[in-house]
Amino acid sequence: MEVSKINIIDVLPGIFLVTASLIAMLSIAIKRNHKLIFGLTTISLLGVFVYLLVYASNHRFTVEPLFIIDGFGTFITGLIVMSTLAISLLSYAYFEQREERKEEYYILLLLATLGSAILVISKHFISLFLGLEILSISLYSMVAYLRKRPRSDEAGIKYLILAAFSSAFLLFGMALVYSVSGSMNFSGIADYLSSANSLPLTMQAGFGLMIIGIGFKLGVVPFHMWTPDVYEGAPAPVTAFIATVSKGGMVVLLVRFFTQIDGFRFPVIVLSFTIIAIASMLIGNFLAIRQNNVKRILAYSSIAHMGYVLVAFLAGGRLGVEAVSFYLVAYFLTNIGAFGVVSILSDHDRDAEKIEDYQGLFWRHPKIATVFTAMLLSLAGIPLTAGFVGKFYLVASGVNTQLWLLVFVLAIGSVIGLFYYIKIIATMFDKSVGTETLALRPRLYLINLITLFVLSILMMFYGIYPQGLIERIQDFLK
Amino acid sequence: MNEIQVTSGLLLAAALFMLGLIGVLIRRNIIFMLVCVEIMLNSAGLAFIVAGSKWTQPDGQVMFIFILTMAAAEVSVGLALILQIHHQLKTLDGDAANSMRG
Repeated sequence: MEVSKINIIDVLPGIFLVTASLIAMLSIAIKRNHKLIFGLTTISLLGVFVYLLVYASNHRFTVEPLFIIDGFGTFITGLIVMSTLAISLLSYAYFEQREERKEEYYILLLLATLGSAILVISKHFISLFLGLEILSISLYSMVAYLRKRPRSDEAGIKYLILAAFSSAFLLFGMALVYSVSGSMNFSGIADYLSSANSLPLTMQAGFGLMIIGIGFKLGVVPFHMWTPDVYEGAPAPVTAFIATVSKGGMVVLLVRFFTQIDGFRFPVIVLSFTIIAIASMLIGNFLAIRQNNVKRILAYSSIAHMGYVLVAFLAGGRLGVEAVSFYLVAYFLTNIGAFGVVSILSDHDRDAEKIEDYQGLFWRHPKIATVFTAMLLSLAGIPLTAGFVGKFYLVASGVNTQLWLLVFVLAIGSVIGLFYYIKIIATMFDKSVGTETLALRPRLYLINLITLFVLSILMMFYGIYPQGLIERIQDFLK
Repeated sequence: MNEIQVTSGLLLAAALFMLGLIGVLIRRNIIFMLVCVEIMLNSAGLAFIVAGSKWTQPDGQVMFIFILTMAAAEVSVGLALILQIHHQLKTLDGDAANSMRG
């Protein structure tokens, strides 16, 4: 294993995020100032994005043996950074009305972003593991951040135990793969596999354990038990972060790993992913119908959406990667928007998670209700939204490789999904009021409204005119 | 190291992993669950060391040090959360801290 000379400018995003979180930590030691920390976070995230636009978008390089910074990685890093920016804009107002110690949240947010950014460019087990753990350990504390809430500790400890549990599976799987192939580098494993005709038993066990570990992180059926509880117990902006940046990073890693080792040659792997995808699409959607808590509904819908993404993942090839990229953009926009609405409507005591909180919302806050309606329609995949184009792309990639069963289940899942999204929308238009005493009294901040507005404009724009984004993605993947 | 020793090393790691796994599933005390997760993580570390020695590479041991570091970080957060839970619920029973029943 030879270590190359690292060109400092190549790894600048990571250095930038680390420095920002260190400065944030020091500034807290001197004086607590929410605005200052928030400004610092925003500026550093914007800085990373500008760097990616200006420098990285036309540079391809590897940092041997750990990182590969290719078009796909750069594109997703940009997406992650911008999503974190949107989430931090939503968090500002959310935490401003709550916790007395709100500054540390931004350190954790920056570090979690760093973890996810490392995850998407890793090409080695060590960088994979480090990125994943930086992400997870920051998330444990973010989930349990509001200490006075009765359920936040519960969500935190559940997430911690299950995430560590799944890391153990992932690690043991990696150890078994390493023991057979003699390399922790993705390309080294690919070299080993290309010379092997069939998978040795140890290797199969290794991949199986890795799939279990990754499945837990993605929250796909049958490893989805933690998702609704953590979504419900975590603060709304953190939930948005888990749903988008954390899961998205894992999806990208999955695509990169299995594309590079060409794992689709082995029927065992394809079969297990097919079963996981079908189970996620069906069970996620079915369980969502029975829920009365908006955060839980969104949790089950995210389980189903991870199943949809796996269709494009299984389709593989160029179109599959394109579909995953586009779908992730649509999914990030929509989910941040939806959880943004939840967080904007939450007040000091609890999050706006009961479905009754949304009763007659359209008559109380027409703008927010319109945004939420648009986001839910996009999640359901109604035409003219980004969600529709994304889903169309997934179907196209599935049809292209003749995955008829998966495409069929995807269509059924979407139809079931419509039911519960429409249920929420119908509640918002329901004028009858009976729960006046329970009503939340949120303070609305302009910054939140603007963020939501921008998100929904982007979502509609990519729904009506996806060509620009598609060309952009194709550019990056070249 | 010859092949048989590698296999037995991996088997030992697998046995430890299973012990930890069973422990997480049947224990109800949160601290014991955390301890069992630690056993699982360390068994993965052991497997890495065995695999590294099979290929006479230092990578396995490097990975083990990373695993130790990560486990320490995770336990520090975990114990802080457990203190909070004990403060609120006056118990460490995992079922008591399961109001959401997901």
